[in-house]
Amino acid sequence: MARSPSDYRTEVWVDWCPGCGNFGILAAAARAFAELELDPSKVVVVSGIGCSGKISHFLKVNGVHAIHGRAIPVATGIKLANPELTVIVHGGDGDLLGIGAGHFVALGRRNLDIAVVLHDNRVYGLTKGQASPTLPYGVKTKALAYPNVHSAVNPIALALASGYTFVARSYAFDAVHLKETLKRAILHKGAALVDVLQPCVTFNDVFTAERYRKLVYHLEKEGWDPLVRDPSEAEEKLTKAFAKSLEEDRIPIGVFYENPHVPTFEERIAKRVSAYPQRSPAKQPIERDGKPILSKELLKRVFSEFVVEVPAPSHTQVGT
Amino acid sequence: MPDCVSLLLGGPQGGGLETAMLVLARALARAGYGLLADREYHSNIVGKHSYVHMRVSPKGLPRSLEYPVDVLAAMDAETVFTHFPDLAPGGVLVYDSGVSSKRLDEQASMDEAARKRATEQLAGVGFDVESLAAHLRDSKGVRLVPVNFQQVLAGVGERYRLDPARLSRYVSSILVGAVAAVLSLDLETVKHSLSVQFKGRPEIVEPNVAVVEEVARLVPGSAKVPLKEPEPPWSEVMVVSGNDVVAMAKLAAGVRYQSYYPITPAADECLLMERYEYVELDGFQLGPSIVLQVEDEIAAITSAIGAALAGARSSTATSGPGFDLMVEGLSYAGMNEIPVVVTYYQRGGPSTGLPTRGAQSDLLSAVFSSHGEFAKVVLSSGDHEEAFYDTMLAFNIAERYQVPVVHLLDKFLANTVATMPVPDPEKVSVDRGLLAKPTQGYRRFDAGFAVSPRAFLGEGPPMWYTGDEHDEYGHISEDPANRVAMYSKRIEKLKLIERELPSEQKVAVYGSDTPDFLVIGWGSVKGVALDALEELERKGFEAAYANLKLLHPFPKQEVVKLLRRAREVVAVEHSYEAQVGKLVAMWTGRLVEKSVVKFTGRPITLRELVEALELVFSGKKERVVLSYGA
Repeated sequence: MARSPSDYRTEVWVDWCPGCGNFGILAAAARAFAELELDPSKVVVVSGIGCSGKISHFLKVNGVHAIHGRAIPVATGIKLANPELTVIVHGGDGDLLGIGAGHFVALGRRNLDIAVVLHDNRVYGLTKGQASPTLPYGVKTKALAYPNVHSAVNPIALALASGYTFVARSYAFDAVHLKETLKRAILHKGAALVDVLQPCVTFNDVFTAERYRKLVYHLEKEGWDPLVRDPSEAEEKLTKAFAKSLEEDRIPIGVFYENPHVPTFEERIAKRVSAYPQRSPAKQPIERDGKPILSKELLKRVFSEFVVEVPAPSHTQVGT
Repeated sequence: MPDCVSLLLGGPQGGGLETAMLVLARALARAGYGLLADREYHSNIVGKHSYVHMRVSPKGLPRSLEYPVDVLAAMDAETVFTHFPDLAPGGVLVYDSGVSSKRLDEQASMDEAARKRATEQLAGVGFDVESLAAHLRDSKGVRLVPVNFQQVLAGVGERYRLDPARLSRYVSSILVGAVAAVLSLDLETVKHSLSVQFKGRPEIVEPNVAVVEEVARLVPGSAKVPLKEPEPPWSEVMVVSGNDVVAMAKLAAGVRYQSYYPITPAADECLLMERYEYVELDGFQLGPSIVLQVEDEIAAITSAIGAALAGARSSTATSGPGFDLMVEGLSYAGMNEIPVVVTYYQRGGPSTGLPTRGAQSDLLSAVFSSHGEFAKVVLSSGDHEEAFYDTMLAFNIAERYQVPVVHLLDKFLANTVATMPVPDPEKVSVDRGLLAKPTQGYRRFDAGFAVSPRAFLGEGPPMWYTGDEHDEYGHISEDPANRVAMYSKRIEKLKLIERELPSEQKVAVYGSDTPDFLVIGWGSVKGVALDALEELERKGFEAAYANLKLLHPFPKQEVVKLLRRAREVVAVEHSYEAQVGKLVAMWTGRLVEKSVVKFTGRPITLRELVEALELVFSGKKERVVLSYGA
């Protein structure tokens, strides 16, 4: 059954500022779901706090609007408990790279099959325009009292360093590019990052749509090949992707790096316990008619290392 | 319990004390004895002083620890200098005669304060092991068992061609052999215990057995503390730590997702669950469970929350510093009515505090944790067996009422090794609460129910969760009428819990029905309080002990009834503030002004509690601060 993007939208009124980059991301997300014909009941969007976090209410798939910075660990628990779910994280730059930076790194180290969509507008919008971790040093957006004293973190380089196996950047108002990139990120087996550049029309008067239109170019159109076809290519491709991520005078968008050869976290567990993920934590019986499956007899056998039999006393004594 | 024997084994951390304790514990259990063994150690990997304080009973599980000890077995000089005051007159001192010339001022690993104390105590005695031993013999009738460790090890090493560099690994068996011989323990049980300890490695078992036999020969017949003939109330028993018990109970309860960040004293629970992540036994499958070490405690609670949303029974384990990081997640679980269990092993705070020592000073912190108001349950357990069943119960409460549950335990329980009857998981049902088969239009927070039917992510049409105030669908709503309805619905589950939980799961009362004195405590105070009250009863005090198990929601009715019957109320707790008394006052309006507290990080022991309660009962003191124990 062909699906349409509107099948993936709720009736909830979208309360972003007119012209917000989030609209582009929302539209692309719904279109990507439709084109991939995802079953809404098997998709979970986990979002953080901030303007971007509300996206889970606007999409008609399962939505978990988590606490600030913690969308990734919530998503991690969901995915590990039920790996048959498609789990996608949406979060802002402050959420994922500020308060939640440790989780961002940890996801890469695990290469768990989760796609992370970074709403990157370089400011904290909902709290009225403070500098976010992706705002460069010395830049003064309009709500700042002084030019930014912090240097920016580079999301692409951080993801590469952390072990993400699909690392891409797109632009909120490049509808087709963003949709296609999201689709690839969702289909990728392993941790995927899509850094989505987005204007904040209200608080970021420096990184505007106009500026992005001028600076952004498509990597693919310049013959960029991100795909690791053989594990032996990984180091070279990763090094090149790092170098590419540092480009600032022009802004490359597209897939920087894609390595399908690194085992996902699910595969790492399955390697040790072959019953996973078929018998996942969410999908196995833990009771029978309200009784635990572990009876006293079974408990004794399973944990026999702790059980001490007490035979009838004998009379040989130490030292006598 | 006059038939009980108390032991103290001491040595440097990493020196094999743990092994010695486990070998002895299993041997004693096999011989029919019950035991309780507290492990005291520094936050250190190798070298600082650690010890095991053990009580052995011929009649099942001893409930409390006691000083002075009948046997002090020392691996090193520091143990002798630190614990000689703990030794009972006429007791037995096992020590390494090879270090008898060691002096107090040479003990570099000793805390300066402890050395200073020992220096004062030893004035006029002499500051070396030999002089101290002679003094104990002459002044207290202590029977000495000097063992030349090097000599024993060298002999056995030669016989079994052991690598001389690895001989120190057999020191644990010197203590085992000496203690077993002093207690006149059956040799076969010790051999059996060694074969269990070093399962599948006969090349290690044999030299250890040889060490035990050799040392046993060196113990003179005059240095015996024979155990009474055992009358075990069981034909099989478990020898387990509190961490072990909780881990087993979680797997029995059906926990299949456990996240954690390494922290003392919670990590051992997680490690055990990890080892048992999947068991297949004649077609029976336990698991697989995901036991995940995450990047911090925030990820621990929030990933457990994620797993719960997907339908797994999930939990995490931590202690104070980790719990502090979890409280925002707990508030989210409250807001979204997510069943998740936090096993909280208290240790000495504030901050890093005494990271390897016990405390009960986080009671109020646990009860009042997290911003906003919501239903949360805090449970405690008085001993290993309670901890098993309460752990299972915690998940039933969490799922039945869709609330976060904090199971508030402590380091004493976590690390204490005890004999415990094999528990029967089927004594506790698995109650997953009201579950929905969601259809189109499913409202996760259906206000038509006190507890809305729960569906798992992925089971039907989409559902939504948010930490924002939300409507029945889980979408954000700041509407005042909705706010009142949803806020009240969540909080009022507390009344339901208070009403529905059986009273024995709220507060268990022991002792007189019409007590003059009601002692109120919770958690690890139970055993020592019960033993103390038995002694005080013999002295003519009519008292009862209330073991408060449900700490939140507070069992007002039950406690008010108890208070009415009691003339005096005394709070006993491992803390400074006697926080449980404050909780009682808050919920019942009766001030609890008398207390016995201990906040050295060491457990309350029997004699000190008896003396303190006697002072309080007889009106001589309102508050006693205990401090015994190195």
